[in-house]
Amino acid sequence: MTPEDCEVYKELLAASALTALDAEDVRALDAHLATCAGCLSEMREWEESAAFLALQATPLEPPPQLRVRILAGVRAEDRRAKLSNGRAGVVAEPRVDGIDSKVLPFARPPANIWTSLGSAGAIAATLILAALIISLVVLWQQNRTTQRELARLTAQMQQAKAQLDHQRAVVQLLTSPDAQMAKLAGTDVAPAAQAMLAYDKSGHAMLMAKGLPAAPEGKGYQLWYIMGGKPMPGKMLTTDAVGNAILEDKIPAAALTGAIFAITLEPKGGMPSPTGAIYLRSAA
Amino acid sequence: MQPEPAQSPDVELLHAVARGDEAALARLYDGYRVILFGLLVRILNSREEAEDILQDVFIQVWRRAKDFDEKRGRPFTWLVTLARSRAIDRLRLLGARQRLAASAEQNRPDEASDALLDTIKVAQKEIVKSALAQLPEEQRDTLMLAYFEGLTQSEIASRLGAPLGTVKTRMRSGMIKLRAVLGAQLENFG
Repeated sequence: MTPEDCEVYKELLAASALTALDAEDVRALDAHLATCAGCLSEMREWEESAAFLALQATPLEPPPQLRVRILAGVRAEDRRAKLSNGRAGVVAEPRVDGIDSKVLPFARPPANIWTSLGSAGAIAATLILAALIISLVVLWQQNRTTQRELARLTAQMQQAKAQLDHQRAVVQLLTSPDAQMAKLAGTDVAPAAQAMLAYDKSGHAMLMAKGLPAAPEGKGYQLWYIMGGKPMPGKMLTTDAVGNAILEDKIPAAALTGAIFAITLEPKGGMPSPTGAIYLRSAA
Repeated sequence: MQPEPAQSPDVELLHAVARGDEAALARLYDGYRVILFGLLVRILNSREEAEDILQDVFIQVWRRAKDFDEKRGRPFTWLVTLARSRAIDRLRLLGARQRLAASAEQNRPDEASDALLDTIKVAQKEIVKSALAQLPEEQRDTLMLAYFEGLTQSEIASRLGAPLGTVKTRMRSGMIKLRAVLGAQLENFG
């Protein structure tokens, strides 16, 4: 594939990421992408950019029952999958060695009809009782599920309300003309953690962290501003159940230019200088 | 100490879903439900249709999480692309009636709804909004018609009464500018 060939197709990539190409162009580009790794990789970059357009839509809360329906749906899929595996198991079950399949089973003795009727009544009564007990258990479980769902949604709503103030502050900070951002990457002790620190020239700073492991009892995370190897203490962060945290702080004037930002695990209440492992830090 | 490159928590969630972890699917749903539902309602102009597609999307995520490859893109892109593609398919099935209604009902910005997003998503949303605000209106309109109404370049040309070549140029120029602004700012978000 010559670069000249690719130029023709590169013209189509941006529109393809928006799925806006007409059928003829789609066919031509698909055939090219099947043989050109360079254009395919560039295509993925365009798709990453196009996906961010989704954020232009107003976020909307779906009804809570939808979450329940989806989880019930995947559970049903699991059950079906297990059932079909189970049946396969019965079919494939090996015969017990030494038992000839031609041996006839013992015939059952003829049953006494009156005894059968009596036991049929007892069985019916037992079945009705069992059905009633099962219905009660199901109702009780449904009630508990609904209550749990209600508690979860209430907590979620309160959390969302509390976040709003922080978010307004972040947006204000990000849209100010002198806004700066620093990325903090997780270290060996927390490779899944990441954070962003946005700040302006007055030192007003907002830290947004995610993926931090739960701090052990009596410990918490503390932010540090490291200038010329000398750490200056910041505030303590409080993480939520999934390890996200938002923190508003003031960067000391001496650390406004060229500081390294880091987060360590410290005793609750914070320390004047770091004593614990570094979980997140910005590049030098 | 040199930091290790961080693996996004959503990547780990998708790997867990691929292993059949139902709780991971629930967490993924909790993290993306408002963005995806907002996107689906915007495309389909119907909450009922959007609910139907959102359910379908997460059943697909459950079945296809093992196909996700973080080397090929972010979880955000994978989920948004899956949801949008299902919605555009449904829109095409529903036909022009719904599509015209959708274009008449322009999405109104609603600040209160941002409370539903996590802070990082709010920051990203602001960056996208400001990137789009920097585009000339005709380029922005072309991108919006393609992305939210699923129109092809020919369909956009006929909708706007503009030559096809002009639409192609506007779309490409708009995407190039958008990528330049987003690329510089969103790289920090991982």
